[in-house]
Amino acid sequence: MEDIQEILEDFLVEAFELIDQIDQDLVELEANPEDLELLNRIFRVAHTVKGSSSFLNFDVLTRLTHHMEDVLNKARRAELRITAEVMDVVLESIDMMKALLHGIRDHGNDRDVGIEIDDICERLTAVSNGDEILSSGASDEPASAPSAPPSTPEPEEEVDVSDLSDDEVEAEIERLLKQRKEEDRQRKAAKKAQEPDTPKSQAPKAPPPPKKAPPLKAAGDRDLAPAKKGAATVEQTIRVEVKRLDDLMNLIGELVLGKNRLIKIYDDVEERYEGEQFLEELNQVVSAISIVTTDLQIAVMKTRMLPIAKVFNKFPRMVRDLSRELGKAIELEISGEDTELDKSIVEEIGDPLVHIIRNSCDHGIEDPSIRATTSKPEKGLIELKAYNEGNHIVIEITDDGKGLDADLLRIKAMEKGLITEREADSMSDKEAFNLIFKPGFSMAKQVTNVSGRGVGMDVVRTNIEKLNGIIDIDSELGRGTIMKLKIPLTLAIIQSLLVGAQEEYYAIPLASVLETVRVPIENIYTIEGKNVLRLRDEVLSLVRLSDVFGVKQVFEGSDMTYVVVIGLAESKLGVIVDTLIGQEEIVIKSMGDYLQGIEGIAGATIRGDGRVTLIVDVAALMEMAKEITVDIRASLDEQSSSKTQPSDYKVLVVDDSKMDRNIMMKSMEPLGITPIEAANGLDALNIIKSGEHSIDAVLIDIEMPRMDGYTLAGEIRKYSKYKNLPLIAVTSRTSKSDRLRGVEVGMTEYITKPYSPEYLESVVRKNIKLPE
Amino acid sequence: MNDRLDKVLTKQQKQLIEPDVKSTEEVMQLVGFIVSDEEYAIPMLNIQEIIKPIEFTRVPSVPDYILGVFNLRGNVIPLIDLRKKFNLDASKQSEEARYIVMKGKNNIAGFVIDRLTEAIRIRKDRIDPAPETLHKDKGMIYGIGMRDDSILTILKVEALLKRDF
Repeated sequence: MEDIQEILEDFLVEAFELIDQIDQDLVELEANPEDLELLNRIFRVAHTVKGSSSFLNFDVLTRLTHHMEDVLNKARRAELRITAEVMDVVLESIDMMKALLHGIRDHGNDRDVGIEIDDICERLTAVSNGDEILSSGASDEPASAPSAPPSTPEPEEEVDVSDLSDDEVEAEIERLLKQRKEEDRQRKAAKKAQEPDTPKSQAPKAPPPPKKAPPLKAAGDRDLAPAKKGAATVEQTIRVEVKRLDDLMNLIGELVLGKNRLIKIYDDVEERYEGEQFLEELNQVVSAISIVTTDLQIAVMKTRMLPIAKVFNKFPRMVRDLSRELGKAIELEISGEDTELDKSIVEEIGDPLVHIIRNSCDHGIEDPSIRATTSKPEKGLIELKAYNEGNHIVIEITDDGKGLDADLLRIKAMEKGLITEREADSMSDKEAFNLIFKPGFSMAKQVTNVSGRGVGMDVVRTNIEKLNGIIDIDSELGRGTIMKLKIPLTLAIIQSLLVGAQEEYYAIPLASVLETVRVPIENIYTIEGKNVLRLRDEVLSLVRLSDVFGVKQVFEGSDMTYVVVIGLAESKLGVIVDTLIGQEEIVIKSMGDYLQGIEGIAGATIRGDGRVTLIVDVAALMEMAKEITVDIRASLDEQSSSKTQPSDYKVLVVDDSKMDRNIMMKSMEPLGITPIEAANGLDALNIIKSGEHSIDAVLIDIEMPRMDGYTLAGEIRKYSKYKNLPLIAVTSRTSKSDRLRGVEVGMTEYITKPYSPEYLESVVRKNIKLPE
Repeated sequence: MNDRLDKVLTKQQKQLIEPDVKSTEEVMQLVGFIVSDEEYAIPMLNIQEIIKPIEFTRVPSVPDYILGVFNLRGNVIPLIDLRKKFNLDASKQSEEARYIVMKGKNNIAGFVIDRLTEAIRIRKDRIDPAPETLHKDKGMIYGIGMRDDSILTILKVEALLKRDF
């Protein structure tokens, strides 16, 4: 039983692979009906499927493929001319075959899908017969073939496998061997005289009675198939479960994190032990590991790569069907189908491409009558191109059709209430093109079979967004449209830009980052409650990352700010961040079921220092940004002017002696500021970290229990928001080395005890910039 | 130290000898801990590990009882503050605070507690179902355990691990 299951699985894998190829071959065949090699290949597919399915007792499938084989066989023998009509029937039967195979995969047999094949079989017979009557070379021999087959080949195949008595097997083997020898001889002959290949192969087939014909073909097939494989053995392959590759990928992910960590540790160590011998060795090891890890990662990524041909292959057929349906002449030109992509992406990319190409056929390419009035060739051309560009793959769909009319798009969108008149007026042509991605938008005058529901382009946008891809659309009225899809090569390990929002860090997928700019705050304008930035000739919406994610505002920005311009599918957004950390390779980790699908967060990653950093979901971020109406400039202005009177200023006094604290506070009394007390370094640090008070200066004693003044200063300086916080050491340690140490850890001032109250007062006043 | 060990050993011995506790089916092993001022317990089998507090990363757009996520040997795990979840007083984290990492069928999360108490063995017949009035707590309580000197709130781990936002 298990054996059968295994055979069945093999059969399905093989059959689906064959069918992938057959569609393309058939369309090609229609263009070159004389291509014998092509015909043979197609015939072999039908034949192989027939043979295997009869072995596995799939009667429906066997009967269907048998009829197909009939037609193809005649074509192969040049008894039947491949016309568009014949091709329609054949293609239809291929579709049936696909449906049956799917049925077998899902139900384990070909009956439960409930596909009626009688009609198509009749039509196949009709095609093979009908044309035969028309074509003059009809002898009774082939004429008898189509009527006989339903009964003959089936038992024949069964003889082959199921009811075989030993003698019969012997006989069969003998017969096959003989035929094979004959075939070999024949091929040698054919090699000698390459040209007359056709008549030769036909000649030996004619003599034996029609009953014998199928086994002969079988022998020939078996013979040809290994020959084909022989050519392919140059690149040997192993079939591996996808799950194993996924596991491998996960392990590599862990390794990459380990590598990042190692590099980080090396950087730390380098600072501390500069010039030591072991550092060089450590450096070598770290570099070697990081190179190997990167190579390994690329190698494993490559194993998951599939040529995009997998997806592209179905388009010639689709375009052919569409062009017949729409009554247009369309040619599809494919290039770069060898370009490789991660398997998971290949699976996702099919649907969007279908919609785009359908659109090009339906809306892009004009009717032949219209094309005739222009200088364009009668046949419309759609180009489908794939190529690599850095860490991305670009898929370009170009048509030479009528192009997009930006004005018409604006009007349509307004009619449907998707945009307001004002928006329409301020829209650039490029932005207008992007309207086609809006859900519910359609340019078709009526809903047809092919398009017009306003769903397709929305699907394109969502799918491409899911892959972190970017869509770029360009069009010239009357000349055609170019659509570019830019998609990252892989999903599991990505390059990211690390940014800081206040004290929190986030990773933005680099694939979505278009550029980063540093702009003065004055360049940010508020229009109708939205913050915008004029960047070159574009107006960019702006949002602060800390507003989107509700990050606690702990420090105010300077008068310059960083803007990360992100782009996804067709839209763009400027994100204001406080710091740019840099580019880092990150591994996307799920946050588990509990935190699945948090708005705006795509996942998490572990950084070199072991901390968790969240990854921004760019698509969601863009949605969330629309909801936010914070006037960035106003809020910045407000922040800087929040301190109006002396008591708004806060000074933290850190000393373990209550008396010393009192002296310091007494000295500051004339200033009217608000003092806060802390009895040791640790308490002080906690007060600062909590962010409860916005502290303007810290007076620090050096000798303290639990955490001394130097350590405290060092810790405070670790926070970027306190980089400029005045730290004033108040101590009786007066030696030069003490002072130096103070400077090293980041003390701003050094007051030696004892001091006069006036001196302390003036130092504090100067440092907190208290207005007189 | 030896004294305590002896005590534990004799206690275990006694438990072994006592006929009605012998069958493990009737006994539940729990770990007790304090949140705010109340003692709770959860089944020991649901605990993956208990660790000292480590740094965590805040996650935006979630209820405030979810503190964020932390890195547990390469896995990203949510961190939940039980004080906030139970609407209890949020005082400062003490030195004895721990993260209990609990695992359910297909979920895992860390919970901040104030202090661990002890491992508890309790007979199932001494556990009463949660009183009606407490049911509004979204069924987070498995039952109330009667002990010699106190009562114990036993929590339902699956309910704690269930996302409710």
